[in-house]
Formats: sequence, C-alpha cells, structure tokens
Amino acid sequence: MRDSLYLAWQYLRHNRAKTLLLVLSLAVFIGLPLVMRAMSEVMQESLMARAESTPLLLGKKGSSLDLVIEALYFQPKGVEPLSEADVTEIDATGLARGIPLRTGLMAHGFPLVGTSLDYFPFRHLALADGRSLTMMGECVLGADVAASLGLGPGDALLTSPSTLFDLAGVYPLKLHIVGTLRPTYGPDDRAVFVDIRTAWVAEGLGHGHQDLSQAGPDVVLARKDGGVTANAKLVQYNEITQDNLDNFHFHGEPSTYPVSAVIAVPDNPKAGTLLRGRFVDDPTRQLLRPAGVVEGLNQQIFRFERILQIVVWTVGLATAVMFVLVMVLSWRLRAEELRTMTRLGCSRWKAGQIMGAEVVLMIGASVALAALLGFLMAQYGETALQNLILRGS
Amino acid sequence: MTPASRSIALTVALVLLAVATGCSKKDQKEQRTPESTPDTHDALLVYTVNYPLAYFAQRLAPAGVEVVFPAPPDIDPAFWKPAADEIGAYQRADLILLNGAGYAGWTRYATLPRSRIVVTAEGCREAFIDVEDTSKHQHGPGGEHAHGGTAFTTWLDFRVAACQAARTRDALKKRLPAAAGEIEKRYEALENDLLDLDTRLRDVAKTWKGQPLLASHPVYQYMADAYGLQIASLHLEPDQPLDSDALKQLDAVLAEHPAKLMLWEDAPLQSTADEIRKRGVAPLIFAPTSQPPATGDFLRAMQQNVTRLECATGAQECL
Repeated sequence: MRDSLYLAWQYLRHNRAKTLLLVLSLAVFIGLPLVMRAMSEVMQESLMARAESTPLLLGKKGSSLDLVIEALYFQPKGVEPLSEADVTEIDATGLARGIPLRTGLMAHGFPLVGTSLDYFPFRHLALADGRSLTMMGECVLGADVAASLGLGPGDALLTSPSTLFDLAGVYPLKLHIVGTLRPTYGPDDRAVFVDIRTAWVAEGLGHGHQDLSQAGPDVVLARKDGGVTANAKLVQYNEITQDNLDNFHFHGEPSTYPVSAVIAVPDNPKAGTLLRGRFVDDPTRQLLRPAGVVEGLNQQIFRFERILQIVVWTVGLATAVMFVLVMVLSWRLRAEELRTMTRLGCSRWKAGQIMGAEVVLMIGASVALAALLGFLMAQYGETALQNLILRGS
Repeated sequence: MTPASRSIALTVALVLLAVATGCSKKDQKEQRTPESTPDTHDALLVYTVNYPLAYFAQRLAPAGVEVVFPAPPDIDPAFWKPAADEIGAYQRADLILLNGAGYAGWTRYATLPRSRIVVTAEGCREAFIDVEDTSKHQHGPGGEHAHGGTAFTTWLDFRVAACQAARTRDALKKRLPAAAGEIEKRYEALENDLLDLDTRLRDVAKTWKGQPLLASHPVYQYMADAYGLQIASLHLEPDQPLDSDALKQLDAVLAEHPAKLMLWEDAPLQSTADEIRKRGVAPLIFAPTSQPPATGDFLRAMQQNVTRLECATGAQECL
C-alpha cells in the first residue's frame, strides 16, 4: 500500500497544475456548504443569544428591526431618539430598571456608546485592564477596539466629528481611556463606552468654556444686566479634566436629552408582562422583546440560506461530475502507461490501487483545505458576516 | 473513489469544523464569566452624600446594614470633590443616597449606577428654591444663559427631612423585604422626632411674627420658606474675622433688614460676635449638621438648634 501511495504522490507532484485545480475544486465543493451552514448557525446563535439576554427594549415607534440592530449591535440606523424622561418613567414604574443607550456617534471608526454603569454588570462585561468609568470625559474600550488601536488605560481617544464639513459643528471630544474590557466575542468588543452625559457633551448638548466672569475684554463683547456676550475667541474645552469639570454644563431641560433606546430589565417575568401591557397602546413608543425581532431576522436569513444552498449544491454537483470526467479521461490518456506497468510485472489490482491512492490523496487534501477554511471562517468570519447582514438589513 | 471513502472524508471535515467552531465557543463561555460584581458582600452597603442622610439610614436600618458617609470631616460635603477611588467606593455600594436639589455637585459629573441611586429629596417639594446667579452670558448660537444654582439644605424644612427619610425607608424596604416591618417601625419613630421639630419651629414662627432674621450664610432657604421666617443671608465665615468689606456689607443689609438675631452655622469668633452685638444683633447657632456633630447626633443637634431659637425668640422659656 505504501508503494502505491508513493507512486500516486509522485504522479500528483509531477502533474501539479492538474492536481491543484482538482483539489481546489473539491475543497470548495466540500467546504462551502459546510462552512455556510456552520457560519449561519453560529451567527444566528450569536444574534439570538444577544437578543435573548436583553429582556425588553424601549424605543420610538418605527422599524423594530432598526431599533434592535442599533441598540443591541450598535450599527447606526438613525433611529429617532427617546428622551431621558423615558428612562425615568421606566424606573418609576417600579416594575423594571432602565438602562439608557445613546448610540450614533463614532470614535476612531468604532461606535461610541453612552450608557449608565448598570450596563456593564447587565452584559457581564469585565475589565481586562484599568478601572471602570468614574466621571464624565472617560471611556472604556471594548477588547477589539483596544487591540485594533493599540490603546489602553492612560491613552486618549478623539470622538469623530458628526459632520466633516460643518465648521460650526461640534468639536471632537478627547476621551481619557481608563479601562479595557475582556473579550466577549460580541458587539461590545467593538464599542467605546462612555457615561451617557459624556455622549451628550460629544454631540454638543453640553459644553465647557473658560469662566466668563473672569474673561478679558478681548473675549467679552458686552456685559449687560448681569449677562455676558462672548466672541469666538472664547476658549471652549475639548476634553474634560478634574480642573475644568466645574466649567462643563448642559443647556435646556435634562429630562429632554436624547436617549436612543432603553433596555428595560424587569424584576420578574410578571413585571415584564405588566410593563409590556402599559406600552401596548402607546402612540409614540414601542416596548419590544428583541428575541422576537431577531427570530424574524433569523427566519429571513434561513430562507435566503436555503436558496443559496440549492445554488451551492448545484455547483457542487457540477464540480463532482467534472472531477469524475477528468479522472476518467485521465485514466484513458494513461492507458499506455498502465500497459507499461503491466508489462513490468505490475498486476491490474496494483495499478488500480495506485489510481485509487491518487484519488484518496486528492480528496484528503481537499478535506484538509475545507477544514482549514472552516476554521478560519469560524474564527474571523462570524463578525464579518454579522456586520454584513446587520448593515444590510 | 468509493462512496464509503467519500463519506469518511466528509465526516472528517465535519469533525474538524466542529472542533474549530467549538474551540471558539468554549473560549467565549470562559471569557463571559463575570468578575466579582460590586454587590458580592454580605452586609447591605449604603453610601450617603451627607450626614443627615447617613443618620436617617442608620436610624432606619436593621442589623446587617453598613452605612458609610465617606466625606472627610473638615470639608463641607456639598462642595467635596471625591477622587476616582472614592467614587469607585460609591459604585460598589448597594444603595447610594443622594440629597437632590443640586447637593454634592460632584454627582453631576460622576458615573454612578443609576439603579442603586435614590435621590431622597426628589418629589418632596413642588419645586426647589433657586439661588439667584447673575453671571448670565452668551456665546455661540445657544443664546443667553446662566449657570444658576439651587438651594440644597433641604432637611432644614423638617417635613422635607421626613420625606427624605421616607424615601430612604422605601429604598431599604425594597432591598430588605424581610425586614420591612422593622424598618417601618423605625421610620415611624424617626418621623415623630422630625415632625416634633417641625411643630416647634412653627410655634417659633408664630411667636416671632415675621420679624427679620439674618443668616451668616445662604443655607436656611428651606427653613425660611417652610416656617415663614424672613431671613436675609450674607456670606460670612464663623472662623474668619470680619474685615471692613464684611462690616460694610453687614451694615447695608441691616439698614434694609433690621434683624435682632443672626443665625450662624457654627460659633463665630469672639471678635465677630462682639461686632454684631455692637449693632444690636445677637448671634445664634443653628447648625445645618451636614457633617456629624462633635457630640450627639443629628437629632440631638437639631433639638439644640430649635431650643436655642425658641429661647432667643421667646417661644419657650430659656433653660
């Protein structure tokens, strides 16, 4: 048997191009449906796990899928915001506690998520390095963000301007990194977390500037009735530090500040049902169960996957037929070679064994390649596929 | 290639794939295990931002509750700025009692777990009292605005204090449902003590009949509002002598507001007391007790405050 394998190996080595072509074709034929199925299952499980761990989600009336995708997976969908008063309302029911989420801003290409400290234990997010948020202006990085940017506690990160060409728009805010999170293999790894008030400052609802009561005439245009009008020279702070904290302030009624969505964590299932009942007829807001929404998305993915599977199996069948054809034609072309082998004393059985060994080696290489492809996709493909589906949905 | 060998090869591929994806899921489960969460201790840990709230919590809490008021003793807790590790200690508490009305400005920028925060004065009044701030300014498109403040010594209106104690009671009952009966009983006793002080101050107000009062510091707004006291406030420190500016300010206020009594947060310097006595004004200590008193407790300090006021106004005989 070893002789047969040796001769088969030498033959395949000699005909490298043909062998490589056949191995690649077979690897795709074997690997693609398996990889597709495995990836789809992993991704659906991951989407569902995230949704199931989020009992209830409050948002503005509109697309429930957009709301879930923005609040759970931090993919900006431009959902209409609620207000801080809605978070207070959830808390005041005594049925659930509300965890606010402010999304939509970015920092170095990663989503900036403004939330409360309750979010971290709720998602079982543990610190890998540094400490938790303690004041405005600080941020904690998800594992992927920290690894991609090579940043950690003690470093700083700038928020991305909301509009590139808006010269009168909001200045980027320098965030002080105080901690990095352990990987969770989910959307939290690719987010930058800040206190929700920091998010409001980053989007221009709050700001800090030099003390106007001590500003010089080069900054002050007019002082009238206790009021001070400053010109554009007024120094606005682009970072929040211990020294300038007191100069940061918000304008307007705090209860009206925007909140993209509120995760409602009911005290028990009965409280959850009662809470849902309260929002059934709400004309402007929806309280939904994210698992239900993601189930609908998964069903759509499953339908699409079935169509794709038919295509893949058809292509696979064509590949198999081609492989058989190539092998049969190859054996015919090699009839003279086989006759020579017989004349040299090789039995027909031995010749068949050599041909069989060639096929086994090629299929073996294809399976190994398909497995490698599967491994790589399982390691790195889930996130890419998830992003593709969530962005496109 | 026989069908049997093909199926073996496919099985191998499936196993390899399962191992590959399985490894990833296993890692995921191991990493998801949370670190020790803030509330993994036996005793219920309560943090407060001032001494009155710590006193209420101590009076109401059954055994097994640890009440912590961490501000250093030489600092007014309203203006204390805790460091990151001190904020971290608040974050680890099971219950964080805030005063509300803008008290403890650091809570405005600190990150605290909102599910464990109780703002005790919230809803205890229709509206909090605004402190006039004239530093209005304008810049950019936002229009004119001022960073006005809010009076925050809410507990000097003893009905508000009782309401703050009730909020503390509710928070403790929610976290310790098994001790709800005991907490309620303790609250009734505390409420009686606070409402007794309230009644005594109302009697003082009736006797005093709206005569003007002075205050060394603007901390008595809620007391004045609740009991109908006409209090004009200055910005004088009990441990600092009065300079000429302070005396001018005092004279100017007295010209418009001819008070016979002046409330002080603490005993003023002898020289200060002499200066104000020269002007026909008697100094009177009414300590807001935002820090623990040297002796006794919040209730004892407040009873002494009210007794001094009763004596000075003639509402009760001096002991």
